[in-house]
Amino acid sequence: MSHEPFETQAAVYALGALDGEERSEFEEHLAGGCATCTEAAREHAETLADAARVAPPMIPPAHVKADLMRRVAAWASSRTSPRRRRLLRWTGVSAAAVVGVSAFVAGFVATRYEARIGVMARETSRIRADLHRQEAELRDRLAVSQGVIDLLRDHNAQVVALRGSGPSAQAWGRLVWHEINGGYLFVANVPPPPPDKVYELWTISGGQPRPAGVFTVDASGRATHLVAPTRAPVDVFAVTLEPAGGVPAPTGPIVLASAK
Amino acid sequence: MAWAAEDLIRRMAEGDADACGRFYDRYARLVYPLILRIVQDPADAADVLQEVFWEAWQAAASYDPARGSPEAWIVMRARTRAIDRVRAVRRRGETFVAPVDEALAVDRGDPAGRAADRAVIADVLERLPEHQREVIELAYYGGLTQAEIAERLKQPLGTVKTRMRTGLLRLREIMKPTTT
Repeated sequence: MSHEPFETQAAVYALGALDGEERSEFEEHLAGGCATCTEAAREHAETLADAARVAPPMIPPAHVKADLMRRVAAWASSRTSPRRRRLLRWTGVSAAAVVGVSAFVAGFVATRYEARIGVMARETSRIRADLHRQEAELRDRLAVSQGVIDLLRDHNAQVVALRGSGPSAQAWGRLVWHEINGGYLFVANVPPPPPDKVYELWTISGGQPRPAGVFTVDASGRATHLVAPTRAPVDVFAVTLEPAGGVPAPTGPIVLASAK
Repeated sequence: MAWAAEDLIRRMAEGDADACGRFYDRYARLVYPLILRIVQDPADAADVLQEVFWEAWQAAASYDPARGSPEAWIVMRARTRAIDRVRAVRRRGETFVAPVDEALAVDRGDPAGRAADRAVIADVLERLPEHQREVIELAYYGGLTQAEIAERLKQPLGTVKTRMRTGLLRLREIMKPTTT
């Protein structure tokens, strides 16, 4: 196929006289990257520009530039620069692409790791429950410590030792005690009670035992027990093994008792 | 004139209004006579001139130095916009043919104004053979398509095309010693 027709077209094209099908054909030809025709069209355009340049110049009305610069200034101040806008546009496109890819990958990953995510969620809730329990425990311990300290600051407070007896000779206890404010019983080396039994504390005055609450011990044989005030002197403190729920009068063997 | 025209266009693309002012100062005098030549009316020409530079400001980012000089870029924009204006006038029912005939009539009409308009291209185009000058003027300044020119001149389309090409090539030869 001869190239000649296209070279002629370049001149007609540069003069703006190419129309219809021929014009779109030639533009496709240029877009196809024909160096010869691109150069021909470019040279014809330069020739016409030169023709304008060698002609005597004419000074346009002054208001044209003034109006133009007003428009340009308004435009420049109200918008970001074209380069910036291009950048923003590409950023937008990139962001959209990233979102699209992310959605796809996320779907893939979610399917793959759903089970694992479920496990992690359960783990998280278990840890949260643990933390709550530990926090409650710490709060309780702190309350006990603070309570003991408060009691010890009172000169009427006393510390009573309790000793193990019978089968639990290794057991021992300390009672920080105040008749008006009550007190705290700390025990150690006390064997865990059988399933249907608890330990019960008694305050004995004039040979008359009064129930002062039930408690159990942890795996290491320790316990802390809050004791209500008696508002009366106590001769002896004793701990017995009793049926679960406690009883109004001691029935079981004495596990711990104060000296006097 | 420290700035190269390409740099001015690049700065315009970056939103530099000052560069736009400098670009206008450099090329408005070049394209204004061309626009006036095509649209004939000074008020229309002033409108078109502003539009051309406004669009150049907005299209600065699309300027490709590899595809032509800044002069060719702005001249082609001016010519195209001016022809658009003339065609819009024609669509409004006014005749398009008359101004072209007037423009082509060398010694007719208002001697002062017409002579000034013709001076835009007269220097070089007058040195072309009449049949080449004619097709170039009708196309470039009259906005006629090759088919319209062929019909008007009662010439085969191929002949019109060939005259255009040889005319432009001759024009380039004529201007070579002038521009360098």
